[in-house]
Amino acid sequence: MDTNATTPTHTAPAARPAATGGHQRIDQFKTEIAELDVKTPADGNERWYLLAGIISMAVGMVLILGGYIGASGTALVAEQIPYLLSGGALGIGFVIIGGALFVRFSLSRYLRFWLIREIYEERAQTDRLVESLGAIEALLADRQNR
Amino acid sequence: MPTEELPPDDVPLLELRSVRAAYGRIEVLHGVDLVLPEGQVFALLGPNGAGKTTTLSVCSGLMAPTGGGFYIAGRRMNGAAPDQLARSGVCTIPEGRGVFPNLTVRENLQMMTFGGVSLADVEAVAYARFPRLAERRTQLAGTMSGGEQQMLSMARGLATNPALLLLDELSMGLAPLIVEELYEIVAQIAAEGVSILVVEQFARTVLGVADIAAIMLHGQIVRVGPPHELEDELSAAYLGA
Repeated sequence: MDTNATTPTHTAPAARPAATGGHQRIDQFKTEIAELDVKTPADGNERWYLLAGIISMAVGMVLILGGYIGASGTALVAEQIPYLLSGGALGIGFVIIGGALFVRFSLSRYLRFWLIREIYEERAQTDRLVESLGAIEALLADRQNR
Repeated sequence: MPTEELPPDDVPLLELRSVRAAYGRIEVLHGVDLVLPEGQVFALLGPNGAGKTTTLSVCSGLMAPTGGGFYIAGRRMNGAAPDQLARSGVCTIPEGRGVFPNLTVRENLQMMTFGGVSLADVEAVAYARFPRLAERRTQLAGTMSGGEQQMLSMARGLATNPALLLLDELSMGLAPLIVEELYEIVAQIAAEGVSILVVEQFARTVLGVADIAAIMLHGQIVRVGPPHELEDELSAAYLGA
């Protein structure tokens, strides 16, 4: 493409006043920033998920127990079905969801502690190694000097 | 001193306090402190892999810090979405320009009309600042020189009328003369009151327009000071001396 063939027919107009009105723009910027709806990420989310998992499991157990008590109170199958659904199925659902949350977040905590421990031990081992090498070097230097 | 205690005029436009950021479990910023006062140019220099672009990503909201605080005009912005910040006036000009190569200059500029600004206004700002783009307005962006593409990228950014400009490796792959020309424009933009954070790996040209400079190494800012003081230390920092 011949780039020079394009003749400049467009006369560049002046920049927008807002682009040059520095202070006004900065003030507007500050106002907009102050009004922004920022959702600060919570640091303790993990703990809450763990708690939610435990509560969900407990609720599930209570529902199952309630369902069992309700169903055992009648000999009619048609009357037992609602207990089975609202107590048994819903309760199992709560237990599964709660269990998944609990396993997911307790496992990540455990793995994080494990990783930190690994790093710590590796560093301690390196320090011991460096210390030993220093001692060997000092001994060798001492022997050479004799 | 906490920002909240400062008089409003002394509140820096951008501030990072002990910012930590990580890609998954790999932490790349280990407590970055940075203060960009209003209307100044801050040059962040450092070798490849120092964490400069990650710092910009935090400032533009693309990455949430894992620790510390990121403040704009005195307000803690951890967790702010990049589009929220962009709409308010934080503009990032990324490394590698990010122009659409198969679109013409005019069409590239048209992409910036999403905020409700008319194409005529966007073009007015762009061509006033970069007259060369007016000559090239029907040309495909991908067929322009690197310097012209960088101008287009800057023009597109300036069309949003930013208050805070984040520039990533402006000089990348460009001839020294073009770099000098671009930094002259950066100085003009700063003179209009826009606060600018520039990230550079090699270009010393940026030191000529910067008010404050900092050297970043291994995810930490190791030295902050006036640009002329840091110039001599740059080579030593890069070579690990």
